[in-house]
Amino acid sequence: MSEVSGERSGVGRDQGGQASTVPKTSALGMKIEDLSAYYGSFKAVTNVSLEIQPNRVTALIGPSGCGKSTFIRCLNRMHEVIPTAYAEGCVKLGDQDIYAKDTDPVTIRRRIGMVFQKPNPFSKSIYENVAWGARINGYKGDMDELVERSLKRAALWDEVKDKLKKSGLDLSGGQQQRLVIARTLAVEPEVILMDEPASALDPVSTQKIEDTMQELKERYTVVIVTHNMQQAARISDYTGFFYIENMGDPGRLWEFDETTKIFSSPSRKETEDYVTGRFG
Amino acid sequence: MPRETFQQELDRLVEEVVELGREVESCLDTMVEVLQSHDAGVAGRELGVDSRYKERGAEIDEECMVLQARQAPVARDLRLIYTVQAVTNHLVRAGTLCEHIYRAVSETADAERDPDLDTALFEMSRGARDLFREGLNIFEARDIDRARSLEAEDDKVDLLYSEAMNLAVNPGKEGAGSPEWRVRAALTVHYLERIADHGVDIGGRTVFLVTGERMESAMRQYRDRKLDQYDD
Repeated sequence: MSEVSGERSGVGRDQGGQASTVPKTSALGMKIEDLSAYYGSFKAVTNVSLEIQPNRVTALIGPSGCGKSTFIRCLNRMHEVIPTAYAEGCVKLGDQDIYAKDTDPVTIRRRIGMVFQKPNPFSKSIYENVAWGARINGYKGDMDELVERSLKRAALWDEVKDKLKKSGLDLSGGQQQRLVIARTLAVEPEVILMDEPASALDPVSTQKIEDTMQELKERYTVVIVTHNMQQAARISDYTGFFYIENMGDPGRLWEFDETTKIFSSPSRKETEDYVTGRFG
Repeated sequence: MPRETFQQELDRLVEEVVELGREVESCLDTMVEVLQSHDAGVAGRELGVDSRYKERGAEIDEECMVLQARQAPVARDLRLIYTVQAVTNHLVRAGTLCEHIYRAVSETADAERDPDLDTALFEMSRGARDLFREGLNIFEARDIDRARSLEAEDDKVDLLYSEAMNLAVNPGKEGAGSPEWRVRAALTVHYLERIADHGVDIGGRTVFLVTGERMESAMRQYRDRKLDQYDD
């Protein structure tokens, strides 16, 4: 297998999501304007506007039920997969409106990958777990090199390089989560969304995932939903606090700022009450 | 309220700092008295007082470290612990300066003194003590409006500092005091100016504790706000 290049050169894509051979060294950011999310007639999230900076980690925190996961699922059109669920507003990846009528949601989900709370590797070999997505996307390059590069970027290569043909399901929970991250990276996304990716993992595995995220932001834009405030403080550059003012109201983005500001002197009392654990 | 135990520990920490501050304040009261009375007996009895402050300071510092390790504080809790450590340092150092002044008085009680410089020292000691007390009151009450007037009060002490230093380095031909006393007097002027600065810094730390902003930034915003109101 060849040495991993410092540049992005996998299944590169242009702004329209078409396959491109131009290697990229930086990711795109996202711009969200007046985004509201619904489940049928119930409005779960209202009027969220923010800019997600490229090549940075943005953490979303807030109490349960305040719309964080709903919001993050709107960022790659996963929300609308649920029957009766829909979103209003504008979400842009770079300059592209991902909710435009001519935008293919499948292409969007490839460019904006997602890692869930519970690791969900396929019941295939470790190698095939990583190669599969690239293969169905028509990747014509050196697959061995792509698998190695993706596993290295997910900080899993050293642990699995001698057992690539073993089932991904035989790995530990933390390794499975990093395998899923490698699978996401293999299709060269711009943005990686993570919905509580370490909440089911032990502290050592959690630390490895956090270390991985710090490396990922060199090439990708990362958005993470977490209930672990210390994790948000440790790994993110920006933090958004979601909050529901009154029971039954939709969730709102209550405060958004640099993480150092949110965890040292937030502007709003509710944010300070939440991050200091005085909430409720 | 969630984290009730942690809140109680923080409240207790603040009580300990204020308690230490009041001890140092009492020490400063005595310092003002001996600078007026030149009572070597009183000054001598107070020698060694700073070791108690240093010990208490180290204990508070350790409590802060334990709380940081166990509770992972953020936002206002983090600012409070950071401020407690800084204020404790100011209190201990003010106590040490007070000890230096006791030593100077006890060792030069019988020396010839310059009456003008001696009066300036006494006036300056009252100003420094008052600024220290005000800084401590501001910290205890978290009253940042009062903190904003500290700089102006400090200017008065700085003026006394200039006058006292001028007297120290430009002795008159008669009644200038013994050389040893003059040297100790000059050092005392410096110590008193530092005590006043510790009081100002305690107020500044309180502004940071309450607002999350540095004193300079907060004062700039305060001035800008006043100008805006005037323009309207």
